[in-house]
Amino acid sequence: MNEELILQHGLTLDEFQVIRKYLNRDLSIEELGIFSAMWNEHCCYKTSKKWLKKLPTDNEIVIQGPGENAGVIDLQDNDGIAFKIESHNHPSYIEPFNGSATGVGGILRDIFTMGARPIATLDSIRFGLIETEKTKYLLNGVVHGIGHYGNCIGIPNIGGECEFESTYDFNNLVNAMAVGHVQKDKIFYSKPKSIGGLIVYIGSKTGKDGIHGASMASDVFSEEDEDEKRPSVQVGDPFMEKLLMEGCLELMSSGLIESMQDMGAAGITSSSVEMASKGNVGVYINLDKVPLRQPLSAYEILLSESQERMLAVIDKKNNHKVREILQKWQIDYEVIGEITDTKRVVFESNNKKVVDLPVEIIVDDAPEYDREFYIPRKRKNKDFDFSKIKLEDMITNLLTNLNYLDKSWVFDQYDSTVMGDTIREPGQSSGIVKIHGTQKVIGASTDCNPLYIRINPYEGMKYTVAESYRNLIACNINPLAITNNLNFASPLDPNIMGELVLSIHGLKTAAVKFNTPIVSGNVSLYNQTNEIPIKPTPVIGMVGSNMDLNKINTNKFCEIGNKILILGKQLTKNFSPYLLQDQKIAFNICEFNDLDVLDLDFEKKIANCVLELSDLKCIMSCNDISRGGIFSALLKMQYKDMGFRIKVPDPIDLFCEYSAGYVIEIRSKDFEEVTSFLTKKGAEYLDIGEIIKEGIQINSKKFDYFDIMNKYRNDFEKIIS
Amino acid sequence: MSFKSAVITFPGSNCDRDALCYLKDLTKGEVHNIWHEETSLPKVDLVILPGGFSFGDYLRSGAMASKSKIIDEVVKHANDNRYLLGICNGFQILTEIGLLEGALIRNKKLKFLGKNCFIKKKFKNNFNLSIKDKQVLQIPVAHNEGNFYCDTETLNLLKNNEQIAFEYCKGEFSNTEENINGSIEAIAGITNKKKNVLGMMPHPERAYSDFHQSQDGRLIIESLIS
Repeated sequence: MNEELILQHGLTLDEFQVIRKYLNRDLSIEELGIFSAMWNEHCCYKTSKKWLKKLPTDNEIVIQGPGENAGVIDLQDNDGIAFKIESHNHPSYIEPFNGSATGVGGILRDIFTMGARPIATLDSIRFGLIETEKTKYLLNGVVHGIGHYGNCIGIPNIGGECEFESTYDFNNLVNAMAVGHVQKDKIFYSKPKSIGGLIVYIGSKTGKDGIHGASMASDVFSEEDEDEKRPSVQVGDPFMEKLLMEGCLELMSSGLIESMQDMGAAGITSSSVEMASKGNVGVYINLDKVPLRQPLSAYEILLSESQERMLAVIDKKNNHKVREILQKWQIDYEVIGEITDTKRVVFESNNKKVVDLPVEIIVDDAPEYDREFYIPRKRKNKDFDFSKIKLEDMITNLLTNLNYLDKSWVFDQYDSTVMGDTIREPGQSSGIVKIHGTQKVIGASTDCNPLYIRINPYEGMKYTVAESYRNLIACNINPLAITNNLNFASPLDPNIMGELVLSIHGLKTAAVKFNTPIVSGNVSLYNQTNEIPIKPTPVIGMVGSNMDLNKINTNKFCEIGNKILILGKQLTKNFSPYLLQDQKIAFNICEFNDLDVLDLDFEKKIANCVLELSDLKCIMSCNDISRGGIFSALLKMQYKDMGFRIKVPDPIDLFCEYSAGYVIEIRSKDFEEVTSFLTKKGAEYLDIGEIIKEGIQINSKKFDYFDIMNKYRNDFEKIIS
Repeated sequence: MSFKSAVITFPGSNCDRDALCYLKDLTKGEVHNIWHEETSLPKVDLVILPGGFSFGDYLRSGAMASKSKIIDEVVKHANDNRYLLGICNGFQILTEIGLLEGALIRNKKLKFLGKNCFIKKKFKNNFNLSIKDKQVLQIPVAHNEGNFYCDTETLNLLKNNEQIAFEYCKGEFSNTEENINGSIEAIAGITNKKKNVLGMMPHPERAYSDFHQSQDGRLIIESLIS
C-alpha cells in the first residue's frame, strides 16, 4: 500500500506497520478506511487515554460510567439519569447551521440509545471576536442550527454558555450536552446478548455525507481547507430523528431489542465494531442490504456519517413485530447481518468479503501514546495599578462586553419550555427540569474558565469544576456527577499537552473532593488553525438533583426591602484574571499573576451552608458569583424592575472574582437567624444592602436603573447585528 | 357530566404529551390520544391539535397535517358545534384546513421565539369567559411562524364578527414587548365565526402547573368547563 494513501487516512506509517505485522498481509482499501476511522483521536482517544484513566468514574450512584453511549446515574426509586456532552467543533466552523444541528442530533441519539427519553439539552458555544463578519455568520448559524434541531424534535434547551474571545477566531467551539430519563430496569447497552442475533439497520438511508468526518474532526485546519471539507459535514433532519426516537423508545419499552448503538462518528464501522468488542463476539454484515440514498461503494458505506441511523440487535423471532412498529413511524428498517462467535468483523459486498479483521486488532491494539508535555513555568507576582479606575468606567466596560450582557438573543431562539417540565429558563445559573410524573428535579450547568486554565491548568480546572458546582448549589441542587468535553489545540505541542495533563489532574482533584464522578465525555484535539491554538477549553457539564421541586431556589430577586448578603472569599484584585482582562488592565497572558489556590474544603463548607439555609426556607433567591464579580451577579438577579442599594468598602471589590461566592437574598426578619447560623458555621458574610424598586445605588452614588438595564438586556443584539 | 377531550398526534407533534397532561390535570375527565391515521374520533367536548413540527413542517407549517386521515373527523367535530383548539402548530394546521382565516408567516425578526409573552382577551367567547377584560396573562410562546397575517377585508370581518380572541400586549414590567412577532394588530389567537374553534400561538399547556412560571393557562380550560 502506498505511503501517501496511508497518510491520507490519518494513520502514521508506524501505526500502519503495527497493523501490517499483525495481519501478515496487505489491507483492502475498506480495511484501511476502518483503521482510519477507529484509530483516530475521536474514536480511540490515543493521546488522552493514559490521562483519562486517572479520573474518578465510580461511586455509589453511578450505574454506568464512561465507555457506553452515555453515563447513567441513580436517582432513587426506578429513576436513572443518562447524560453526556459531545463536541461538533470542526463541522460547525465549516458549516455552522448543519454542523451544530447534527451536534445536537448526535448527542440526543447517544441518550435514547440507552433507553432514556431525552428531557433537556444544554450548549456550550464559543466564538471569536464579534467585530468580524465571519464571527457574526458563525454565531447566527450555530444558534439557528442548535435551535432548529432541538425545537423541532421537542426537547427543551435549558441553558449553557456563550462566550467570545479572539482565541476562537478560527476555531469556534460547539459542545452539546443532553440529559435523559431512564427507568433503571430498562437501560439498554451496546453489548449484544446472544450469538445469532440479527443485526438490524434502523433510520435514514445512507448517503455520501460525512465520509471521513471522524478523521476530519482530528485534523488541524488550514484556512483553504474550509470549502474543500464542506461535503464532509453531515446534514441533519430533526423530523426524522423525532420519528427515530419515538420508534426506538417504543421498541425498547416493548422489549423487542437486545442492544443498540448509534451510528455516529465513523458510522456503521464504529457502531458494529464497538458492538462486537463490548460483547466479545463477532459481527457479519452484508453491505448490499444497507438502505442507500444513492449508489455507494462498500468503502463509502462503511465510512458514511449520514445522520439519524441506528444499529440494533434483535432476536430472530421479533423481526416481524419490530418491522410493524417501525412502519407505523415510517422508518426504514433492514436486517443487514448477524452476531457471530468468530470475534471477527466481517463485511461483505457483492458476494465478496471486503473486510475480515479480528476485533482485537481494531480495538484492543489501538495505539495509545504517552506524549511529551511541559509543566508551565511559575509566574512572578506583579502589582497592578488600580488607582485610575472609576466605578462608572468599570460599569461601562462591563456593559460593552458581550460576555457580560444578557444573552436572551441566543436563548430566545431555543424552545426552553416544551415537554412542560421546565422549572427554570435558560440564562440563569443552571437549568432545571422536573422528572415527569415525580417531584424530583434535575439541574444541569456547563462551564469552563479558559483564561484561568491558561494561567494555571491545574488550579484553573478546579475553579471550572467549582463554578459548575456553585451554579447548582445556588439553586439548592445537590451536585451528583460530571460529563466533560476536553477541547484543546494540538497535543503534539508539549505545552498544549501539559495543559491537557494538568487540567485532567485538576478535574480529578475537584471531582474526588465533591464526590462528583466523571461518567461520560469527549475529547476534541487539534483545535488550531494556521498554527494559532485555542486556549485550553475543557468544558464540564455537571448534573445534580433535588428530590423536592418545592425546595429549589430562584436566581431572581423576590421582594423589595429584602436584604442582600455575600458569602465566600474574594480573590484579591491582583489575582482576579477576568477583572484584569475586562477592565483592560492586563492583556498578555504573561502579565497575569498566578491563581490563588482554590480551597475545595472551603467551597464545600459554604455550599453546605447555602443548602441548609435553602432547606430552612431562609433563602429567597441566590446566585453564584463568577466572572464579573458581585456586580454581574446582581445584574443577573434583576426581575420585575427590582434593583439594589449597596455599600462596599471599595467599588473595585464589586468586580473581583470569588471562591465559594454567592449572593443571597433574605428577609429582614430572618436576618438574625441567618447570620447567627453562618457565624456558628464559621462562614463569613458581608451584609451589603437591600433590594429597592427601580434603582441601582452603589455607595450612595445613584445610577439610572432603566439605562443600565436597557443596555444589559438589549445591547447584545445591537452589537452582534 | 364529565368533560371529555382528545388530543391528535401527528408524526412530529411534540406538545401532544403536554396537551394530554394539561387536559387530564384540569378537566379530570376522559382524555383520548388519537393517532393521525385513525378514521374515527370518539365523541368528545374538546379536541386539541397540539404544537410541534407535524411532518417536519415540510412544504409549509401545518400543510401536510391538514391532509391527514383524521382531519375529516376533526372537521365534522367542529361542524357539530363542539370545541376545537389548535395551539401553535395546531393553529397553523387549522388555517391550512381552512377552519380559521388568515395565515401564520415567519416572525418579524425571522428568528424562532421561545419566551414568555403577555396576552389579553379582545372579544369574548367560550374559550376566554373566565378571563377578565384587561387581565394580562403570561404564557410562553415557541414558534418560528407565528406572525398572523390576513388581508384588510378578512381583518375587518374578524373584527366585525368579534373573532379575535387574544392579542399580545405589554406586561407589567419594563422588559416586555407589545407585539412580539409582528402579527397584524398584535393578534395572538382567533376563532371561527361560530366561535367554537380557537387557534392561538401561545402555549397554555405550559403555564398551568404550580411549578410553571405562570398558571394563567388554566383559565382557558376553566372557561370551557364553566
